Amino acid sequence: MRILIVEDDQDLCQELKLLLDNAGYDGMILKDFEHAKEEILALCPDLVLLDITIPFMNGELLLKELRKETQIPIIMVTSQNNEVDEVLSMSYGADDYICKPYNPTLLLLRIEAVLRRVHRKLNHYTYRDLVLIPDRGVVKCHDEMLILTKNEMLILKYLIIHQGQIASREEIMMDLWDSEEFVDDNTLTVNVSRLRQKLRSIGYGDVIETRKGLGYILV
Amino acid sequence: MTMKDYLQDKAFIFLFYGMMVVMTLLMLLAFHVNISLIILIMGIDFWFISIIEVFDYQRKKQFYTNYLSQLKMLEEKYLICELIKEPSFLEGRILYQSLYDINKSMLEKINDLSMNMEDFKDYVEMWIHEVKIPLSHLTLTVHNHKSEVSLQILEQVRKLENQVDQILYYVRSQSAQKDYLVKNNHLSQMIKNVIVKNKDYFIFHQLKIKLKDLDYEVVTDMKWFEFIVNQVLNNSFQYSKNTSDSYIEISAYENQEAIVLSIYDNGIGICASDLPRVFEKSFTGENGRKHKKSTGMGLYICHKLCECLGHTMTIESKVNQYTKVNIIFYKNHYYHMDEVTKL
Repeated sequence: MRILIVEDDQDLCQELKLLLDNAGYDGMILKDFEHAKEEILALCPDLVLLDITIPFMNGELLLKELRKETQIPIIMVTSQNNEVDEVLSMSYGADDYICKPYNPTLLLLRIEAVLRRVHRKLNHYTYRDLVLIPDRGVVKCHDEMLILTKNEMLILKYLIIHQGQIASREEIMMDLWDSEEFVDDNTLTVNVSRLRQKLRSIGYGDVIETRKGLGYILV
Repeated sequence: MTMKDYLQDKAFIFLFYGMMVVMTLLMLLAFHVNISLIILIMGIDFWFISIIEVFDYQRKKQFYTNYLSQLKMLEEKYLICELIKEPSFLEGRILYQSLYDINKSMLEKINDLSMNMEDFKDYVEMWIHEVKIPLSHLTLTVHNHKSEVSLQILEQVRKLENQVDQILYYVRSQSAQKDYLVKNNHLSQMIKNVIVKNKDYFIFHQLKIKLKDLDYEVVTDMKWFEFIVNQVLNNSFQYSKNTSDSYIEISAYENQEAIVLSIYDNGIGICASDLPRVFEKSFTGENGRKHKKSTGMGLYICHKLCECLGHTMTIESKVNQYTKVNIIFYKNHYYHMDEVTKL
């Protein structure tokens, strides 16, 4: 997935690109703001992150212009923290709107949601023979299928995305909180042991390993 | 202006009038002038003096009575020149002219000041938007390069963000321009947004959050409301006892007139003598003195924003037990959209 960043602060662009690249997207940065519209149409990205305050043209105007020609998903990004701009952007045809300073995880979640809405494709994450399908809330292994709760699914998804490294309890909790599951330390322990139990029924019981004082890892 | 005031003011002149009449009379008597001629001369004297004085009294009375009564009724006293006509007599004209000039120079001065103020507000708003770019950058960098100090840095960034937001909303609450959008919003979604924003604090400090009965629609501006809740939450953080059973509970209920949102924490509380004053500007009270961290602005701004939005904010507390902030959304203050379309 190619995501185009339209933002005039170059340092921020680089950091955003890194965030997107780390998340498995292909981040691109718009260079020529004077011919922004033509440039965007020529690059034909899968999604555009469009800042409202850009040189030569207002982001909202650019959005309006772009919408005359293309239906590329566009997420507006701004530091103007007011609802009027938000409503205006959405009425011009933005797919979503996010305020600076943004929470990086939330930004990624929004991008994922927009892309999913547009492409109507089921996301899935795989680990060995396990296939996790978050939209259905299930994990499959060959012909066997397990139904997971939202928390269990989020934990497994986080571990699969970060396979090969230890995920600390704090990191996993942050991820859960970003999805509006406000769990505390004990609940996390309970959720992990329930997840283990469920996985055990399809022979993956020992796949989540606890590293004392560090966190969890998929082995 | 009464007749008595007028006569008193002119007592000196009347004295001279009297002396003039008496001297004329004595001279006329000394020259043995015919008594009927004396009466005629005296009559003419009295007649003209009376006419002059009555005329003068009338025109002054007309002007000053009008002037004083207008001034009394007028709320913005400086507008008085717009309401009175320039009088015909000299002192009145001098008064009118000086009022006019004083007013003009004052208005120019005020205009200058308010323009400076507007410029300054614009600058502050712009500055805030500028400062959010490095803040975003910092958050992203910390996210991209995780290390053992990430959480600490994020917490400091969050504090910076809160302070910056506080200025933004202070400026907005002071200005006449109303850049808010009041519509139906889902209470639980807004509360969740604020909690997600503060997740680092909750996780890092192992503070528990309980949400109860938040499934209501309220009429408010989402951004302003989230700012208010964020400030109240941050107060709870600051005055938490930081023990393992510390928690914050956010709940709501509905009665006939209103939906009431409560944010409850079992922190150090506020002493009874400080309680009535917590919404005052720059009031820090006992907790502020002990902790030396308070600016006394947070609750003041929240209270003010609530007023602008038509909500009411109240606070209850017991020292060492709890603090509970209520936000009351009155129902009958607004029409519902479907009612409006029906009309």
